[in-house]
Amino acid sequence: MNAASKILVTGPNGFLGVALIERLLARDTPGVVAVVRAGSDRKRLDAVIARHPKSDIQIVTGSLATVAEASKLLEGVGTILHLAAALRGPAAEIFLGTVVASKNLLEAIVARRERPRIVLVSSFGVYGVADLPKGHVVDESTPLEPHPERRDHYSHAKLRQEELFFEYHRKHGVPLTVLRPGAIYGPNGGAFSGRVGLQLPGFFLFLGGKNLLPLSYVDNCAEAICLAAEHARFDGDIYNVHDDELIDCGEYLHRYRRDVSPLRVVKMPYPAAMVMSKAVEWYHKHSRGQLPAIFTPYKTRTTWKGNRFSNAKLKGLGFNQLVSTDEGLRRTFEHLRASSPS
Amino acid sequence: MGELKVAIVGCGKIADGHVEEIQKLGHLARIVAVCDREMVMARQLAVRYGVPNTYDDYDAMLRTEKPDVVHVTTPPQVHKDLAMKAIDAGAHVFVEKPLTLDYAASRALVEYADRAKKKLGVGYSYHFEPHAEELRNLVRAGAIGDVVHLESFYGYDLSGAFGKALLGDPSHWVHAMPGKLLQNTLDHALAKIVEFIPDERPEITAFGSLRREARFGDRRDELCDEARIVIRGQRVTSYVTFSAHARPVAHTLRVYGTKNTAHLDYNNRTCTLERTPTLPSAVGRLTPAFENALAFAAQGFRNMRRFSRSKFHFFAGLGLMFERYYESILKDSEPPVAHRDILRVAWMLDRIFAEVDASLTTSKRRDTSSNPTEAEAR
Repeated sequence: MNAASKILVTGPNGFLGVALIERLLARDTPGVVAVVRAGSDRKRLDAVIARHPKSDIQIVTGSLATVAEASKLLEGVGTILHLAAALRGPAAEIFLGTVVASKNLLEAIVARRERPRIVLVSSFGVYGVADLPKGHVVDESTPLEPHPERRDHYSHAKLRQEELFFEYHRKHGVPLTVLRPGAIYGPNGGAFSGRVGLQLPGFFLFLGGKNLLPLSYVDNCAEAICLAAEHARFDGDIYNVHDDELIDCGEYLHRYRRDVSPLRVVKMPYPAAMVMSKAVEWYHKHSRGQLPAIFTPYKTRTTWKGNRFSNAKLKGLGFNQLVSTDEGLRRTFEHLRASSPS
Repeated sequence: MGELKVAIVGCGKIADGHVEEIQKLGHLARIVAVCDREMVMARQLAVRYGVPNTYDDYDAMLRTEKPDVVHVTTPPQVHKDLAMKAIDAGAHVFVEKPLTLDYAASRALVEYADRAKKKLGVGYSYHFEPHAEELRNLVRAGAIGDVVHLESFYGYDLSGAFGKALLGDPSHWVHAMPGKLLQNTLDHALAKIVEFIPDERPEITAFGSLRREARFGDRRDELCDEARIVIRGQRVTSYVTFSAHARPVAHTLRVYGTKNTAHLDYNNRTCTLERTPTLPSAVGRLTPAFENALAFAAQGFRNMRRFSRSKFHFFAGLGLMFERYYESILKDSEPPVAHRDILRVAWMLDRIFAEVDASLTTSKRRDTSSNPTEAEAR
């Protein structure tokens, strides 16, 4: 192995991270280094490693909390698969765990003579689709979100994270490829993308209707990351990541109710969701924030108006679904059924 | 002086609460800038709340913006220095709790502000919850009589957002404070009782314990998660409980008086009076349940009225505290939390941490001696 041939994976303990480690090991990828934070729960990661006893994967304890700590992780690293992000919590936590951590990593990279290549796992959340017509095809040329402050904190942070990476790519020549996955699903993941609707106390509010779901089965998404690491140009190229066989929100909910639990569902058509959003936003302003503006017309237009999607560019890298959507849903729902309290 | 120009330094979680509540006081104050040594953090706060200016250089912000008030919402390790700089720049200063790391630093800061004739505020927001005001009204109206004893309970959820953050990071600033987690929480438990304990230096005894299993192998395992404190004044005594394990996670105050007892529940926003029964025999034991039910129902209606008037915000206490603090600046009157009370809380905290540390050391020694090593056992 040459001096800079290791593959550093940040966020290997997360839902996608564990699947990515499994894919890398299944592909006999040498020199994988997974960085975990001190004291983090490694049960699932350890189980994956136990399934590949001959692998030379190295687990290191570290963090991206400071530039100095990030620097320690880069010795001999040729490629970074950057998944680490804070998914939930207050805005400050999400920005610290996602954007500031990324900035520390980038600062550590530009301080080195040999700069590793980075695959950044971003999100569909960076696209600004609120003002695009219904059915617009979301591909890599779709404009970025112009009003991140009107969106959820996670999407806001992912947009700033991407902007930061492109800034370092332009100014410092950091080799960069960006992947934007859609709704990643699979065993150990969540049951519903927000695009389908919202689980409220006692019932599920179904808002997605016949909108197409940009599903990405977690193993397929992991495969896309491996492909990008091997074949992308690292010239700031961007790839949308979702499966080839997509279903709509209604189909997803139907299968969930059939295979997991007969959820009580309240269906709300898009025009009604817009009326409700306007009412919620009005009350939020009128009461000076007594209740949070969970629904706003802007968020509703973004999430439930309905888009179509294209992964044609990813196909150009040789992407094919490893796991069919039927099989992915079967595995996911089987896991959800097994882990549901009833 | 009309509308106050406010600047904020430290753009972490609590800064959101400050910005939201300050922006509701449109007639009193306007946020002109936010500052964080990490510009990413300053910008995210400014973008979300429409603050016009961002800085990663505190001195530059003070020089350029010339704020009337600076809110210090950084980790406590730098509170004193940042607050003094703000005072030097001619600003009044509001500091999140804990004010500083110890009594000596708190005293130095209070005296510094007093000498400069600047108002120093501290984030004892529970003091100003609508229900804490109701309790004060009961005391003033003589409904409780003379206060005899207080029980202050502060529950904590280590699996909550903040708990997870500090358990997930051994370098979190909480671990570096002398009182660690207790320092970040106990001043709330103390701030709400000092107004009822007139003594300057009451007797304090305390002990702490660790109920969690050690799992990190670093200083996170040393985080005290249970503490019991007794405060003994000349006329009034108090128990203070900190618990990270008791459920539900409660935040309450009981005020035992010579006439009646008041119970204040900060999480559920109730303030109820438990009265001495006036009816005789078994009837006297029959009616209290209904009286209590009525008291809670009445509180529920009062809360609904506040909600309908949009006065039931999550950070209602913070908002009222800022309003009174700004008014104290504009009218040059006493700040809402007396400097004497700030210093008494700081003094009590020092004593408590010393006692808790000593008790933890003693119990560690006891554990070691009651679990002999293999060699010793042989």
